[in-house]
Amino acid sequence: MQALLTRHLDAAAPLNLAAYQAVGGYSSLTAAFDLKPEKIIEIVEAANLRGRGGAGFPCGTKWRLRGIDVPSPRYLICNIDESEPGTFKDRYLLYGGPHQIIEAIIVSAFALQAERAFIFVRGEYAKGGHGLHQAILEAQAAGLLGSNIRGSGFNLQIEIHLSGGRYICGEETAQINAIEGRRPNPRPKIPRPSVRGLWGQPTTTNNVETLVNVPHILLNGARWFRDLGINGGSGPKLFCISGKVQHPGLFELPCGTPVRELIFEHAGGLDEKETLLGFLPGGASTAFLLPEHLDIPMDFDAIAHAGSRLGTGSLIVLDSSTCPIEVTLNLLRFFSRESCGFCTPCRDGLPYLAQILATITAGEGQCEDLALLDELCAMISAQSFCAFAPGAVMPLISSLQCFHEHYEQHIAIGHCPFDATQQGAA
Amino acid sequence: MKRLKELQNNLIHLPSAHPERRAAVMPVMQALQAELGFLDDAAIEETARMTGLSATEVEELASFYSLLYRCPTGRHIVQICDSVCCSIHGADQLLRAAEKYNNTPVGAVTPDGALSVLPSICLGLCDKAPAALVDGEALGPLNDESLRALLRRLRKES
Repeated sequence: MQALLTRHLDAAAPLNLAAYQAVGGYSSLTAAFDLKPEKIIEIVEAANLRGRGGAGFPCGTKWRLRGIDVPSPRYLICNIDESEPGTFKDRYLLYGGPHQIIEAIIVSAFALQAERAFIFVRGEYAKGGHGLHQAILEAQAAGLLGSNIRGSGFNLQIEIHLSGGRYICGEETAQINAIEGRRPNPRPKIPRPSVRGLWGQPTTTNNVETLVNVPHILLNGARWFRDLGINGGSGPKLFCISGKVQHPGLFELPCGTPVRELIFEHAGGLDEKETLLGFLPGGASTAFLLPEHLDIPMDFDAIAHAGSRLGTGSLIVLDSSTCPIEVTLNLLRFFSRESCGFCTPCRDGLPYLAQILATITAGEGQCEDLALLDELCAMISAQSFCAFAPGAVMPLISSLQCFHEHYEQHIAIGHCPFDATQQGAA
Repeated sequence: MKRLKELQNNLIHLPSAHPERRAAVMPVMQALQAELGFLDDAAIEETARMTGLSATEVEELASFYSLLYRCPTGRHIVQICDSVCCSIHGADQLLRAAEKYNNTPVGAVTPDGALSVLPSICLGLCDKAPAALVDGEALGPLNDESLRALLRRLRKES
């Protein structure tokens, strides 16, 4: 597949406005302004563009459900608060091609008839945010932003909100609180942000990777886009591959590319002395899968069918030299630290899970700990306020199933079998 | 306080650029921290005054966000990622090595005021693991030797 989203990315020297226009940049504006907003939404829905930020909800459906005739002002938020461990695709988009993002926001905001857009950039990507700000100024000066863009009668203002850190700010409603200057706790899901979001107005949030697909759909059509995917997937997908592979990196490939091809062809496979232990298919908050799942297509439905989530499409690969319980402990420590602290099951439950896991990796675990972990995961997941804790326990629940023998071994021998210093002593 | 007064003129436009004054709280805090290195109590009070929030509300935000500092930092900030991919590739050893080479615990400022080494959540640099941000610039993959050279260079530059 020819690269579409990554074709013109260059973090060292991102294309300026003139250079971006010379390679066809901003041509989707003409296509968009010739259409009625409802028609654009219909095309995006027909393209089956599913949300690339983790949830996989169809973008066109989200837009249609918001409705066209809703109170003004309406807001669009482009989410670049990428903090999911294992995920770095949005960094490439941000640092490598700011004008691609602006073009995508203009046509998407036109479809939604949103007159103001916010780009939420994680604080660790401040330098990328600076480049994006320069590109916005360039676009403004060229009349691509502001009032009556290219005589269409459509007005759009784009602002960057640079975050102060914290994983929870990537959650849609927490992000709205953050932009408003409130503590970024998630809000209740009813009313939906599409009804009452930023400052009580209709607000639509999309991940940046989702949005940058929209110009291509408008230029080439829904069917063309769907056909770019394989094995049930639609369109291209930015896959991040990291962990124990020879060539970690970002790969733009058809959505639905099998896991085996990603790991062994594109990421160069594993160290030849090692074998595959398992992998997380979509970032830290997804369930572990095993070597038996290697031929599954990396698409939303197929990965869900296998018991995990495509999430952000970020494969974290573990080989036979990696202790899966250490990895699980690292994930749980991450989630404990990043819990916003608003609800008790999450704030107090996740550190408790991490503490039990630490006991097991230290060789002081008891057999009863495994049942306790299972029980706590179910309780925390069901009783917490937002989707954070269910995501946090997902790798643990699956780790207990996939790597049960490793847990039992740690408890039985009283130390971590992967710990080289301990091996020497034993 | 004199420096704060000078800053006020630069920040005066921020609250009016947002639909609500309080929405300027993050850019105001970021601008103050960029100037002062960290947010002291006077900066919290100044932010409150500019955004119409109480000092307690500002404190609630300042203490929530990991990139806002309420105590002094070094002239250079090295954030070492300790999330899953970097951890698999030895981030924990790097953090321990940094403590040894600086003779300063992670999170504290070296006695010469040159450096703060901070642990960080995933920096989105998993393809460069183990990775770090050095004054906002991405660096990786790091090893013991390159970390040592980096810390030495930063302390010299200071």
